[in-house]
Amino acid sequence: MSIGIDSDASSGVHPGPDPGEDVATWSPYAEHASGSFDALYAQLRPQCESLIAEYEQKRSALIPLAQLFQEHEGYVSANAIAAIAYLVDENAATVESTISFYTLLYRRPVGKYMVQICRNLPCMLNGADELMAYARRKLGIDHLETTTDGTFSYEEVECLAACDRAPCAQVNLEFVYDLTPERFDALIAELAGGNSPIAPLAQTRRPGRTWKVEQDTGLKSPGALGVSNPNNAGGIGDPSGRAMFDLIVGKPQYEQRSDERLLRETTLRVEPSENGH
Amino acid sequence: MAGLITPVLTAGIGERNLRDIAVYQADGGYEQLRRAVLEMTPKEVADICSASNLRGRGGAGFPTGRKWSFLPNNGRPRYMVCNCDEAEPGTFKDHMLLEETPHQIIEGMLLGAYAIGCDHAYIYIRGEFKRGYEIMRDALEQARAAGFVGDNMFGSGKKLAFTIHRGSGAYICGEETGLLNSLEGRRGEPRLKPPFPAVKGLYGEPTVVNNVETLAYLPSILRNGAEWFAKAGPERSPGFKIVSISGHVVKPGNYEVAMGTTIRQLIWDCAGGLRPGRSFRGVQPGGGSSACLFEEHLDVPYDFDSVTKAGSMLGSGAMVVFDDTTDFVKAAYTLIRFFSHESCGQCTPCREGGHWIQRTLERLLAGGGLDSDVDVIKSAAHQLTGLNLCALGDSIEPFLASVITRYEDQFRAYVPKAAVAAS
Repeated sequence: MSIGIDSDASSGVHPGPDPGEDVATWSPYAEHASGSFDALYAQLRPQCESLIAEYEQKRSALIPLAQLFQEHEGYVSANAIAAIAYLVDENAATVESTISFYTLLYRRPVGKYMVQICRNLPCMLNGADELMAYARRKLGIDHLETTTDGTFSYEEVECLAACDRAPCAQVNLEFVYDLTPERFDALIAELAGGNSPIAPLAQTRRPGRTWKVEQDTGLKSPGALGVSNPNNAGGIGDPSGRAMFDLIVGKPQYEQRSDERLLRETTLRVEPSENGH
Repeated sequence: MAGLITPVLTAGIGERNLRDIAVYQADGGYEQLRRAVLEMTPKEVADICSASNLRGRGGAGFPTGRKWSFLPNNGRPRYMVCNCDEAEPGTFKDHMLLEETPHQIIEGMLLGAYAIGCDHAYIYIRGEFKRGYEIMRDALEQARAAGFVGDNMFGSGKKLAFTIHRGSGAYICGEETGLLNSLEGRRGEPRLKPPFPAVKGLYGEPTVVNNVETLAYLPSILRNGAEWFAKAGPERSPGFKIVSISGHVVKPGNYEVAMGTTIRQLIWDCAGGLRPGRSFRGVQPGGGSSACLFEEHLDVPYDFDSVTKAGSMLGSGAMVVFDDTTDFVKAAYTLIRFFSHESCGQCTPCREGGHWIQRTLERLLAGGGLDSDVDVIKSAAHQLTGLNLCALGDSIEPFLASVITRYEDQFRAYVPKAAVAAS
């Protein structure tokens, strides 16, 4: 049983820079040319102010502001984080830390259609496992991945509170009920053909293979991999220690997350690594 | 069935467009709020709520009137927060109420806010309810335009600010202190209690956090009187309850019944029973956090105290029904994976314990299990409860423990024969 991402999946390779883009300076973390963000910021500023005015303390507007910028940029960009930090009077690290807690805020670009199938118990009792396996085959991607053309992102999510019409899903947060493989086919055809009432998400940058900085499985408690008994976890010579070492040091899966500032302030450049991050 | 279903909150749903304020008012909507604001003192409203013995519908079942009474009289600002971060597996009542009768929620919230004497009410809607959020926003605009909310409620000069807040995906924000942190723009990590929100809540001020369904009952209670509510169902756990029934039943859905209706009546008379030719194997009476009940519990009355006495809990009122096709190992794995995924990571037993059990079950399901795995799961599960800041860590164990006790053979069957022989 695999619920994580198979990093060897052939469909999982990031397409890399666009033709004409400078490969040496390309990075999924790179920001917009400030001009285009400045224009967006100027446009959204009044809406930002009214969101902040809804609350008795500025910081309460942090998540609504992130939602607003994500609505226009498709994800919460480094520029947006800087803007939010300024607006709510906190530092960027605080904003980043807060945003990273919430699964509906994306720190990296995603597909135009975010397909989220519920994997929780009532849906599972009504065939969600089979549906999810079908959806992965149909889209050619795994949990938490985006298709190479940037159209679909796919995630298996927890209970969506529509258990009476299981299995259920959301596309761009619009509910889809009573799913079957046939209905899923029809849904995908409709979305791909642009005939769906569901509006696409904004997409200002091409998405990579995944939008998750940390994967759903594995990194939370990497010692659990390949260990026979939790009571033996940790310690020198214990297999869990080696598994953790391999996972974090041997096979780096994520970049440091404060790169944006480094990029801005120094000449350091992050190269796209082999697995596309 | 007709006799069992008692539409109170659900009255008119599916028949009338209650999202329209005119339709809601034609049903008597906002009349109780008008009466309260113009003719009653806050204490009178709170007293009616206490007399009705309304208990919280979000999971803990704490008496609402008592919760309000804990607010200190220290002259500080007070807040009313409505918890619409519904995400307990199997629960879908607030989803329906939000999309179908938003005005009932607003009226209930305003009544609660008036009763506790607060001047700013917040509703926290889970991020996935984008449609519900839009419906609520429209409803609030209508109520503002009608002068029911805002700077001059019903022309009385009384003020009440109202903010709709949409979350961004995190089950733990349904825990009241996690919710408050999230509402303050922080990570939704639960706080150490005490101090409870009633003393130190939103922005450090006295705050009441009530579930959507709890607050939505207030207009009906004021209309019909506390006695009407208190007399429905058992004395200590009275009133009505929306029960979300899902899983292996013919007609899954929300059914509003008087407390004390038996589990058997709910499954067979309301939800149409099991699919043809299937037999009953268990039911989770209160969402993903509750222990499984079995055949011998079918005649347990569905109310807070009886379900607790039977060894489970009523929780948010979500029944998930299992028939004989259920693989309880997979079912347990699905729930453990959920809790492990949603753990905020503050407390080690919850963060690591859930994850370990998930991993062990995963290996068992993949066919690589050891004979000792079943015992490891059992022992690990019992080491989680009572050691965490909030109830999430305590929710990992009940279902797993109940089904592993009852259906241990299903778990053992996953262990490869070679592994059994080797031990």
